[in-house]
Amino acid sequence: MSIAWLLERMQQWPERNAIVWHDQAYTYGTLVERVQAWADELDRHDVGPGLVVTLEGDYSPNAVSLLLALIARDTIVVPLTRSVEAHRDEFIAIAEVQVVISFDDEDGWHLERRALQVSNPLTRNLIDSGHPGLVLFSSGSTGKSKAALHNFTPLLAKFQLPRHSRTTLTFLLLDHIGGINTLFYTLANGGTVVAVPSRDPEVVCRTIAAHRVQTLPTSPTFLNLLLISEAYERHDLSSLDLITYGTEVMPASTLERLHAIFPKVQLLQTYGLSELGILRSKSRDSGSLWVKVGGEGFETKIVDHVLWIRAQSAMLGYLNAPSPFDAEGWMNTQDVVEVDGDYLRILGRHTEIINVGGQKVYPAEVESVLLQMPNVRDVAVLGEANPITGQIVTARFNLFEPEELGAFKRRVRAFCKDRLASFKVPVKITLTEDDQHSARFKKMRKG
Amino acid sequence: MSSVPDFATLQTLVIATLFEVVEQSNKPVPDAVEGSTSLVGKQAVLDSLALVTLIVELEQRLEEEYDVMLTLADDRAMSQKHSPFRTVASLTHYIAELISEEMGRD
Repeated sequence: MSIAWLLERMQQWPERNAIVWHDQAYTYGTLVERVQAWADELDRHDVGPGLVVTLEGDYSPNAVSLLLALIARDTIVVPLTRSVEAHRDEFIAIAEVQVVISFDDEDGWHLERRALQVSNPLTRNLIDSGHPGLVLFSSGSTGKSKAALHNFTPLLAKFQLPRHSRTTLTFLLLDHIGGINTLFYTLANGGTVVAVPSRDPEVVCRTIAAHRVQTLPTSPTFLNLLLISEAYERHDLSSLDLITYGTEVMPASTLERLHAIFPKVQLLQTYGLSELGILRSKSRDSGSLWVKVGGEGFETKIVDHVLWIRAQSAMLGYLNAPSPFDAEGWMNTQDVVEVDGDYLRILGRHTEIINVGGQKVYPAEVESVLLQMPNVRDVAVLGEANPITGQIVTARFNLFEPEELGAFKRRVRAFCKDRLASFKVPVKITLTEDDQHSARFKKMRKG
Repeated sequence: MSSVPDFATLQTLVIATLFEVVEQSNKPVPDAVEGSTSLVGKQAVLDSLALVTLIVELEQRLEEEYDVMLTLADDRAMSQKHSPFRTVASLTHYIAELISEEMGRD
């Protein structure tokens, strides 16, 4: 059984709190009991090894213990959350789900069977090997969602090495590699996972204060919202000593402000992909965008300024797209990086680079400057085709207070004059009332 | 649709926008701009980026002020024997031509 080691470890500290859900704590003892109860329940419903099972839920004690029970019996788990509701049926079809188990707000559950045979050769191979599986869908912020199929065993292997026991807020959900990583890191080390009902800065800060949270793993987009809300001034965040950020490029201006507001909190950049797992990382210091990535089981190389990674915990492949790995198992991350010795600085997705008359513009760099303007709440920078310069830089803004567009444009250009090279200054400037981030708090740069 | 702007009105709009774009770029502001003022080339008051900015600005202003959505820079513009982007007057003519086509469709 691939997680026997984890369950044994969890039994060593039955009195400790494993999960806080809806502001109520549940111990490791409770969780282990529920895993056992689920084993009986799954037997009763004839959910055996090799079935593809969707778990629709959050970090509730029942959902987390079901996840452990499903791994223990070598099923293929497809975690889904409400944030992907619009794609639910499509995802269930792609993964060839045979059993759906959904949880309600009271942690009650409902099981439904779907009569179908698994036909995808990748999934069939994994089932034949007798290992548990995990299917994660990419957010599709730059295109169609891809379904990454993992063998769960190597993905969990790295957690066997004991590390610090911490109280960590779960910002990302179970359907995201970051959420899975947080959950298993925490459980493997006797820490506490604190779930939040929403990703509103006020709710997050209140939860940190109420449960003495030490680690906040999040995204630059959320940190921007946090800075804007000033919610940190209304709650006691003294327990917090580590903020990690990843999934997108951190604007330098956001990091600088964050460091000034939380001088004692360590700020660590993380790096991971749903195809590869989460790498170990180390920021040069809390104010720095330079980061070392790698660790046991990961190899990195830079080809033409683009980061390539080979990982032992890599997925088996996509269920609905060609394999992104080359013959030697390397994957092109599409992230363009600068290199300084062992350290990298991530500049942006290769596909999001804007080419203005042959000169490269990284959206994150321009956004970082524009975010410093008064009255700017958020901004997304993207390229648009133009027959004269190939592409032009466009910027779509959210403002705090309404402003006349013409006057605002003049203000943007004046602000950029001494701060950005002329080819990086937005040519097209528009205003929007809509939020420009996904349910996973990642910036959407869609045209 | 609002009333159709005449040539003089359009040229005034082009010149006003041009002045603003030049002011906001790092180029010297010319003393006077008239129909024959070059937009591209050696004597031009704009570089390629400022030209692109002028075009995008004009598209946005024509939409705001006259409720007409035009694409000034596209393959059609680029494949003209004489580029509409040579001078203030040629650009104004091109805009007038596109507007009358748009109107004709209604």
